[in-house]
Amino acid sequence: MPLINQRSKLLRISEILYLSLIVLSFYLLIASRTGEAHTVWQVLHPAFIPTLFVITFLLLTILLTSEKTTHKLLFIIVHSILIHSLFSIIFPAGDLSGQQGGLGLTRRVFDNTVFHGLSGWPTSTIQVFVIEMFKGINLQAALTTIFARMLSIDIVYVHLFYIPVLWGVFVPIASFLTTKALGGSENASVLSSLLVSAFPYAIYFGAISVPNSLGFIVFFYSLYFMLKYLSSNDSKTTYQMVAFSLFSFLSHYLTGIVSFSLLLLAVTFKSYEREKRPFPRTTKISLIISFIVCLSLLPMSFIYLRFFSASTNTVFTLDKFYELPIEEILGQFFLGELLYGFDLRTIILVIIGPVLAFLYMMYLLYKSKNNHGGVLANILFLFMTMAFLIMLIDYGILKVFMEGLPLNAERLWVFRDLIAAPFVALSIYAVISSLKTHLKATSPPTASIFSLKQLSKGNSLRILSFLFALNILIPAVIGGWVTFSLTAAYPQIAPLQTTWYELEAVKFIEESTTEKYVVIGDIWTTYAGEVIVGIKNPRAYYFGEFNKIGYNLFVSMKRDPSPRWMLQAMDYTDTTVAYFIVTEPRLGTEEFNNVVSYALQNKQLTVISVPGVPPEKIYIFSYRKG
Amino acid sequence: MPSIKMKWAVSFEIVEKSVVYDKDFIYTIASYSVILAIFMNLNSLHSPLIGLIASVIYSGINAIFLGNAFFGEENTFFRFMFGFLSLTMLLGFVSWLIMIIYNLDVLRSILVLLITTTLSSLLNRRRKHKNATY
Repeated sequence: MPLINQRSKLLRISEILYLSLIVLSFYLLIASRTGEAHTVWQVLHPAFIPTLFVITFLLLTILLTSEKTTHKLLFIIVHSILIHSLFSIIFPAGDLSGQQGGLGLTRRVFDNTVFHGLSGWPTSTIQVFVIEMFKGINLQAALTTIFARMLSIDIVYVHLFYIPVLWGVFVPIASFLTTKALGGSENASVLSSLLVSAFPYAIYFGAISVPNSLGFIVFFYSLYFMLKYLSSNDSKTTYQMVAFSLFSFLSHYLTGIVSFSLLLLAVTFKSYEREKRPFPRTTKISLIISFIVCLSLLPMSFIYLRFFSASTNTVFTLDKFYELPIEEILGQFFLGELLYGFDLRTIILVIIGPVLAFLYMMYLLYKSKNNHGGVLANILFLFMTMAFLIMLIDYGILKVFMEGLPLNAERLWVFRDLIAAPFVALSIYAVISSLKTHLKATSPPTASIFSLKQLSKGNSLRILSFLFALNILIPAVIGGWVTFSLTAAYPQIAPLQTTWYELEAVKFIEESTTEKYVVIGDIWTTYAGEVIVGIKNPRAYYFGEFNKIGYNLFVSMKRDPSPRWMLQAMDYTDTTVAYFIVTEPRLGTEEFNNVVSYALQNKQLTVISVPGVPPEKIYIFSYRKG
Repeated sequence: MPSIKMKWAVSFEIVEKSVVYDKDFIYTIASYSVILAIFMNLNSLHSPLIGLIASVIYSGINAIFLGNAFFGEENTFFRFMFGFLSLTMLLGFVSWLIMIIYNLDVLRSILVLLITTTLSSLLNRRRKHKNATY
């Protein structure tokens, strides 16, 4: 009894220490917050990474105890939210990527400047309108707007944090449930909900608020319901599986197509299970055909996308076979972009999890084939292995045999990682269990660390090494793995993120202008504008990031800073005031000084000074019609 | 002596049962009242604190409704989590639909919340009646 009390006291102390360190880590992130940096690594507090390692180590020791599963999951959720919040906490406008473009569009919904979705009603045809309304950005814009209205806060905060929080809460739970559905123990399942944070691509997509990320979360649940559908005869699981796949499609077409191709595979597996006794050969053939169909759905969908979107021109090609040596083609098939410019450590961190998972899948399949009692487990492992292979092969097809893809093929790695995480946990937990079994078998029943002196030297050394492996080595290795994955997940090289002075300039213009206005600036100014007023807002017009007219006007203004281009911009956007913004870090000192001195010579332009913003960083000129 | 964690778990289960039972639509009405508070906050007070409290109450009630409606067989923790995820999905779907039909200004956002609560409450009652017939 006293030993149990001692253990429980120790557990409580570890939990309090863990939660205190989590609070400290959030504080360190807030202390690292900056308005001028390229990557999080430039400004991250030096104590954050060591603290994260200690936190993960502590968490693992808690996970290996007999603490209640729900408490363990809550601890993991807090950990998960922490590691996915680096962009949102450190940068004032989050990561400079698609998420900021998404914010620019979402703000149009929040500010009621668009009707009937982001594309608006009179589109060229009904068909285009239907396709446009099913774009994931529409759902994301609607969802974040509702959250922002409920909380009565600005859309920027909801947009920045909604994916890190939703991912942090729901992905570990999905991983837990999937592992449990595969027959894993409570502890193995809990381990898998932590290990899902050991995959760099999954971490990255959990840290940026893009429609694809929401799709990944829902996809993981549809995968879990597919396993439930395969293992039960409850008709409800069919509806749940379909509902989650549909919502996954609404979130993003990529996750939707993958969900539906796996759903088709699950349905084939179910009929295989029903009919394999009367027609063993036919069902096996249908399973293989179904695998090929599911495999081809994603690449074919990209080809058919051109019927709906004129800007997409994806084609199958063999060009790479003429251009590249065979070893590079094979490298691209399996490793893709990792072949170019990534260090060995990053490559290992990206592939170690999937490789481990694949090896363990093979082992489980081999084991369950020889075990007559494990028919259900066999089907589930086979289904997951096929799903994993579909992701691997589809990635290779997209990378080697296709061109003009509308998205980065590496996004498929997130699916691969989500499928792999439960198997990595099962394999690691199998090692832990076997160590525990050995420890129990070789030590006397009453042995504790305090009574080791009574044992022989060899025995006590063996027990000590087992205890060391279980309590120190394994938590340290997994803790190190998760921590290193974080360093691979957040980019080491990036352009300068949206700066505080760009945001201040945009805010100042918005607050001090009562008329309709247009801003001529570079792509970075547009990103800042997206945060504050959105893009193509008729009252405060910023051209989109890829808008050629906006780009040409900016280039013309740089060459010849005169009202001529500003008038053109005003006529084009039906506004009465035009602003021209140049920023020193974006243009470089020489070009910045040249443009500013030319513009200052033109007395028709008015210089706008923003309080608190140094003129050596940013210059704003304005011109009013009439 | 039960621990604090156990007491919390037991009291959560009592609250959950009471919400699921929804005697005389008391929690449905509470949810509508919270929507009214959100509407007033959006129009006059603009307080994030009130918004946060109202959102937590709104999400709690409706997540319990939906958790019971679709995932009644799961344990309390997962039922609530599934309920919360379903609520997010339902809010997303209804707001997406309203946005496509017209837009998501304050009034229509309130309409989204009203539709979501009504659907959640009805689904919860449907499940309750279904169980009662067995």
